[in-house]
Amino acid sequence: MSDAPLVVDDVSVTLGGHAVVSAVSVTAESGDFVGLIGPNGAGKTTLLRAIRGGVTPTAGEITLAGQSVASLSAREIGRRVATVPQETELSFAFSVEEAVAMGRHAHIGRFGTADETDRKAVERALQRTSLTNLADRPVTELSGGERQRVLLARALAQATPVLLLDEPTANLDINHAIRTLETVRSVVDDGTAAVAAIHDLDLAARYCDRLVLLAEGSVVAAGSPDAVLTSETIAAAFDATAVVDRDERTGAPRVTALGDESDDL
Amino acid sequence: MRVWSEALTWSIALTAVLATVITVSAGIGPVWIPPDAVAKILLNAVVLPTAVDLSGPSVELSTQPLFRFQVAELHRQIVLRVRLPRILLGAVVGFSLAAAGTIMQGIFRNPMADPSIIGVSSGAAVGAVAFLVVPAAIPFGIGLRGAAFLGALVTAFAVYLIATEDGRTPVATLLLAGVAIQAFLGAVIGVLQLYSGEGLRAVVHWLMGHLGNASWTDVTITLLLVPVLFGILLAYARDLNVLLLGEEAAAGLGVEVERTKRVLLAVSAVLTAAAVAVSGVIGFVGLIVPHMVRLVVGPDHRVLLPAAALAGASFLVATDTVARAGATEIPVGIVTAALGAPFFLYLLRSREVHSL
Repeated sequence: MSDAPLVVDDVSVTLGGHAVVSAVSVTAESGDFVGLIGPNGAGKTTLLRAIRGGVTPTAGEITLAGQSVASLSAREIGRRVATVPQETELSFAFSVEEAVAMGRHAHIGRFGTADETDRKAVERALQRTSLTNLADRPVTELSGGERQRVLLARALAQATPVLLLDEPTANLDINHAIRTLETVRSVVDDGTAAVAAIHDLDLAARYCDRLVLLAEGSVVAAGSPDAVLTSETIAAAFDATAVVDRDERTGAPRVTALGDESDDL
Repeated sequence: MRVWSEALTWSIALTAVLATVITVSAGIGPVWIPPDAVAKILLNAVVLPTAVDLSGPSVELSTQPLFRFQVAELHRQIVLRVRLPRILLGAVVGFSLAAAGTIMQGIFRNPMADPSIIGVSSGAAVGAVAFLVVPAAIPFGIGLRGAAFLGALVTAFAVYLIATEDGRTPVATLLLAGVAIQAFLGAVIGVLQLYSGEGLRAVVHWLMGHLGNASWTDVTITLLLVPVLFGILLAYARDLNVLLLGEEAAAGLGVEVERTKRVLLAVSAVLTAAAVAVSGVIGFVGLIVPHMVRLVVGPDHRVLLPAAALAGASFLVATDTVARAGATEIPVGIVTAALGAPFFLYLLRSREVHSL
């Protein structure tokens, strides 16, 4: 068994009698940014939930640095995996700093209080997400893009070897989307293993080291963005016709989906 | 550290408020006693242990009063024998209900949650009313309070079991199960009332909530129980903060969600059951006080929980003073609602409250 920060080994998840994830294997080494792509309902979110122990796999095993997720307590998982959720309830008027400091929960004992390490981690997370100026603002008064940054900062404050992101850019304009992924990229370059479910294929191709294309719970293709994003794989996974070429400025593959009438091309 | 010092500051301030409210309240009644006289009487009652005598058949603890102010003996009797048990019981009940209400609103992330949301009050009411109407149905030796306490705990546990599947207790299921059980128990109470005959007056009196029958025994028992339970709640305050983000997010941040909910529900249920057993159903304290205090001190439970509990204690002592001050005593449950509702509506309109 590998001691990589994250190993998903032949994992299947059944929810309500449906096989949502079937025999998926993914490994993320330190410094790896793995993108999960695929159509809605492909099992991306469920796979992320399984990694953080939110659902139990019906087959296969998920290990974090060699230790099975099933054998770890919520607190131990919280020290190994941080998640940036798609959305969250931020309806209570906590300040930005307080909300980000909640990322340290798993590091502080029941009767303990935040120490210097905790404060530094929070401060650094605020800096990385350009939230330092907003630290005292109530989260209820933030814009959608700022709230998303709070969630990212909270996950960064958690300072875990593995970072999971579920559609981190789904509700963001293109500027905020790029900034979010740049931040994740820099954290990954510092040695974190990141796995992100991303809808935007072009952004995924540009920022991820490797892509895993899922459809109906199974891996259709996995590997470098160039290898995974082809007209054939996209046709197989999305049931759509697409042209893949290369973006000259970023050098990443670029996917242009075409309508059904393009069958004649 | 900053949070705990903030919590301490609020606690000291609100304890001072509570001490003031108690002192003034103890002077109000058919015989008016000025606050300074009350303060002297209360200070005189503070004793220091001076020696422990182990020679006799039982342990003898000799004590010595710390202060010896000149006070009228009649006033002393009125304050210590008549008024103080009721006032202290009011403080403990208000403290417990406000603390339990704060916890329930946090667990359910729902502003309508109150201490009896999982059926504690209805269960206590069935126990108490059954005792008053058909005493034969209650096993020998259990008094009115015991019956109410048992009814409350059995109901809360039943609601919890109904809502739990595969070790998970979704709060939405818990809420609906609580509502359904409360409706069912409401019907049971209705039937018992229909056939209560002579006992109807006592039943209605109990259901409205009152502190009139307070005894030093009640005060002692609740004073021993409540601090322990409150300490457990406070130890989980940070977990509850994280739980406000939603259960999925909280689990991701390292909170044992189901265990935390279980502990908090159980402790709040016992706290509420103890309060309801000695005072009947006093509404509003557990629902409104946490909201009022949250508007002032913010949502962090490490500050909010002690602040709300102490404010609840002052609130109930003050409203109970109003309840007993008139020519005819009004059940305190009526006063809390009659005074609390308009004040809360005012807060609701003056501050833009969109969420908890």
